[in-house]
Amino acid sequence: MKRIFIDPAKCDGCKNCTLACMASHQDMTPRKGTLAEIRQAMYALDLTDPAAQSRNRIISDGRGGYSPIFCRHCDIPDCAGACMSGALEKNMETGLVEYNGDKCAACYMCVMNCRYGVPAVTPDRKRMVKCDFCQHLEEGPACVRACPKKAIEVREV
Amino acid sequence: MERFVIIGAGAAGISAAQVLREFRPKDTITVISIDEHVHSRCMLHKFLGHERTIQEINFVDGDFFEKKDIFHIACQTVTKIDTEGKTVFYGENYSIPYDKLLIATGSGFFIPPIPHFREAPNVFGFRDLSDALKIDDAFAKGKRVFIVGSGLVGLDAASALCRRGAEITIAEMAPRVMPLQTDDYAASVYQKVFEDQGCRFLLGIGATDAVVDGEGNITEVILSTGEHVACDFIIMAAGVRPRIQIALDSGIKAERAIEVDDHLRTSAPDVYAAGDCTGLSGVWPDAMAQGKAAAENMAGIDTPYEKPYPFKNTSNFFGVTMLSVGRMDLTEGADVIVHKTPTEYKKAIITNGKLTGYLSLGDISNHGLYLHLIKNGIDISDKKDKIFRLTFADFYGINEKNGEFVYTV
Repeated sequence: MKRIFIDPAKCDGCKNCTLACMASHQDMTPRKGTLAEIRQAMYALDLTDPAAQSRNRIISDGRGGYSPIFCRHCDIPDCAGACMSGALEKNMETGLVEYNGDKCAACYMCVMNCRYGVPAVTPDRKRMVKCDFCQHLEEGPACVRACPKKAIEVREV
Repeated sequence: MERFVIIGAGAAGISAAQVLREFRPKDTITVISIDEHVHSRCMLHKFLGHERTIQEINFVDGDFFEKKDIFHIACQTVTKIDTEGKTVFYGENYSIPYDKLLIATGSGFFIPPIPHFREAPNVFGFRDLSDALKIDDAFAKGKRVFIVGSGLVGLDAASALCRRGAEITIAEMAPRVMPLQTDDYAASVYQKVFEDQGCRFLLGIGATDAVVDGEGNITEVILSTGEHVACDFIIMAAGVRPRIQIALDSGIKAERAIEVDDHLRTSAPDVYAAGDCTGLSGVWPDAMAQGKAAAENMAGIDTPYEKPYPFKNTSNFFGVTMLSVGRMDLTEGADVIVHKTPTEYKKAIITNGKLTGYLSLGDISNHGLYLHLIKNGIDISDKKDKIFRLTFADFYGINEKNGEFVYTV
């Protein structure tokens, strides 16, 4: 299975990953594309759309250091273990913790149970939001490709 | 070849069946349940509110049992377990032998000893699909509903029936709604949301008696104030009790709940218990985790089970979301910090440098770490000034080997 590995020392807090994530989930990112095209997509981002929620967060420590928080698709995912609707499930083949919004009952047990604080709620309080590894993109997560510092990269675990 | 039998098809039973199948691809697994359909108790209100069908409140795939090659004996009540002969008896004298057995019978609603309430045919619980179906039938005949208890179950039922135009009265003994999870302010927000939908609350008031018709149906509830409230039927949401009758009838040690050790073993050899019937916790994630741990132990994988931290819940009624973890009621000698804006309300209770309670009403995104901090008693005395802005970045650590996060404290 694959996981986005994080090297916080390399992160300089540009938040390209955050914008790329938002663009990717507004369907702005081409399914296949060069790095330039991926970055170009970010300029089409509609920041007034409340649905433009990033799945990742970069937190500054105020002293020039950054802590990137990305869903780990944990080996034992507490979010899926808490899900009472069957909407969140660990795919044993790909290793991804997948979310099916149609099944979700918006109880937010997942939000409460993720000790790393990854799951978020949508503004309409009808869904949750977490990393889907950009499965709709052929070349993998948009955040990884948007990072100019290679602070995040997809690796086989 | 071992024979595994599971009694109950709720969170614990199903999660156990799933995990057993993973570790034992060839062994025989049988699930016996009173329910015809696997369903999530936490989604019953979606069914009662006619937002979802029976199939849509299933929390596993419709072909779960076929796909996993698990026998499902549905609509059957287990009558007794012969723990020496290792046999489960169910229905009209059917039996099934086991090598390892899991009791996951959950909990049932409780009717306090109020005159007529226990006998009246129009008093319902709201725990199982069968309860929801009975309420659905009753609702077709009359829309005046009296709900006893304003906890999550009572409000779930109220929210579902509100949508369908019921005339709802909710009696709560405590002075505020959802007394276990809220404080006065959070409760007032939820109370208003429900009142805007047409619900009427009677707070600090109990039902003490009833007026019944010729068939024993309750037509009026008499309150502790002496007031009479006319109703077509009643929903009891004043607490649940672990279902332990099978254990009691089979000589398995149980008092208020089925006693289990740190591996979820009961007093009988090769008999395990998981979920609400153990009385360890009453929330979904813990039932799932217990089902998993019990299944691993049954499959021969040594899995100690740590007692869960039971004070935690989230709620979402009419789009108003709340997370409540820890003990909101214990404030003696504690620092209580409150943050209030027009759209948000947060409260932190800090005792001896540790977070002991946290309540958030509004956007609860990314709040999971507060449960972790509370249940693990992590010292946050140097982070008090940003208690409402804590993120995992304040405890950041990475396991270099597999890339997962770890807490650094």
